[in-house]
Amino acid sequence: MTPDLCLVCILLIPLAATGLALIHQGLGRSRSAAHAMLATLCSLAIAAIVFVLIGSSWMGFSGGLAHTLHLAGKSIDWLGAEPLFATSLTSNLTHGLYPAFVLAFGIFAAGLASLIPISAGTDRWRLAAICATSALFAAIIFPLFAHWIWSNGWLTQLTPLFGLPAFADLGGAAVLNVLGGFAALSVAWILGPRQGKYADRIATAIPGHNIVQVLFGCILALIGWIGLDCAAAILFYRVTYTQILLTVINAVLSASAGCLAAVITTQLRYRKPDSSLSANGWIAGLVAGSAGCGLLSPLATIFIGLVAGALVSLLVETLELRLFIDDPGGAISVHLGAGLWGILAFGLFAPAPGPRSALILAQLIGIATLLGVMFPLIHVLHRLLNKLIPFRVDADGDWQGMDIRELGAGAYPEFVVHADEFVPR
Amino acid sequence: MNLIGYLLMVSGWLLVLASLFLLAGLGERFAFVVAGLLVELLGLTLIALRYRSLQRGPE
Repeated sequence: MTPDLCLVCILLIPLAATGLALIHQGLGRSRSAAHAMLATLCSLAIAAIVFVLIGSSWMGFSGGLAHTLHLAGKSIDWLGAEPLFATSLTSNLTHGLYPAFVLAFGIFAAGLASLIPISAGTDRWRLAAICATSALFAAIIFPLFAHWIWSNGWLTQLTPLFGLPAFADLGGAAVLNVLGGFAALSVAWILGPRQGKYADRIATAIPGHNIVQVLFGCILALIGWIGLDCAAAILFYRVTYTQILLTVINAVLSASAGCLAAVITTQLRYRKPDSSLSANGWIAGLVAGSAGCGLLSPLATIFIGLVAGALVSLLVETLELRLFIDDPGGAISVHLGAGLWGILAFGLFAPAPGPRSALILAQLIGIATLLGVMFPLIHVLHRLLNKLIPFRVDADGDWQGMDIRELGAGAYPEFVVHADEFVPR
Repeated sequence: MNLIGYLLMVSGWLLVLASLFLLAGLGERFAFVVAGLLVELLGLTLIALRYRSLQRGPE
């Protein structure tokens, strides 16, 4: 491990969160912009504190303490067992700097993943519920799956346990994006659409209020994503210096391919490029490319980015028009759709030590675990939480905007506000 | 319908897990893992259809 480089990469990760925050507030309404940004800050703050106090113990680290389950003569490592409140950082120094690096990375990674659902709940998700969901995510959901993938958990031990290659996720396509995407889907289902979105069963376009910020957010997200991919690859896969450079190159290529694919797809479908979908294509490229960032060839990465960009444009339309899922920021399509594609693409294009089908099988097992364990867990926990702290703002708040309703002041007080916007339709 | 959807998703994963413990051949495992994934997707589809029907209301 190269500690200095790893530290620099970890310090870049907050830029990814900044980028995502700008994207989802820009794609929401102006009357909920301040709320969206405050929700992002609160989500990051809560995720950081809860992860250090509880989550880091369950995530653990490779070579650390873990709970094992003995089944059919096999030992299955399923949960970290480090002391709570990160006390081992100061009391047990046998592992050197590594646990501290994993903790620092985990704080930002948990925060980044926990703010993905905010994008799907923009304009109607209450701040208290966002905070509670972030706490749940950083305490239970993220550490559990991160342990399985990044802390020598059972999905990385497929070789000794079952004679298959290990499930691989170098940059967090599964651990951050698919988990965050599933949380976004669950939140969108619980909240339901914004008022007026499906008047008379026809989807109404509610355009984002600031596309300039959305596109600026894409650039910031690129820098943050490079840090995220490199830090995860260094910490959990011990990549070489050449592979770190390849990670940087691949991140740029996948984002570029994703954006261009979305521009072309929307040009062909709507006769003009759609800037919000193109921004989503950019992020989708980053997400899909992160699964195999340091191991895939640039050509394969470009192909993965192109598919992700085209896929996200189609998914956004399918979710909105056919499944009646109102996802203002496109989080489900971008993080869930492109994330799953990235995981599968790793199996298709990464250098395979044995038969190609074995590598694909390992990736499919990871996808099946995400779909069959993590999504039901996330959705059931969210539904229980919704009983305690109702997620959705009341009908008046929906029209009034989250800024006035929950914060008491708008993000743009000098704007002229039309009175009819506050009249329930 | 939601409950059936969840049960199908978990069942699909158990099918995947069972194939890892009980089968040895790569082809057999592949077939069972794909079958497990399809069961999971069926569960997800049921939940999605249930949500859609709630949003659309009665015809």
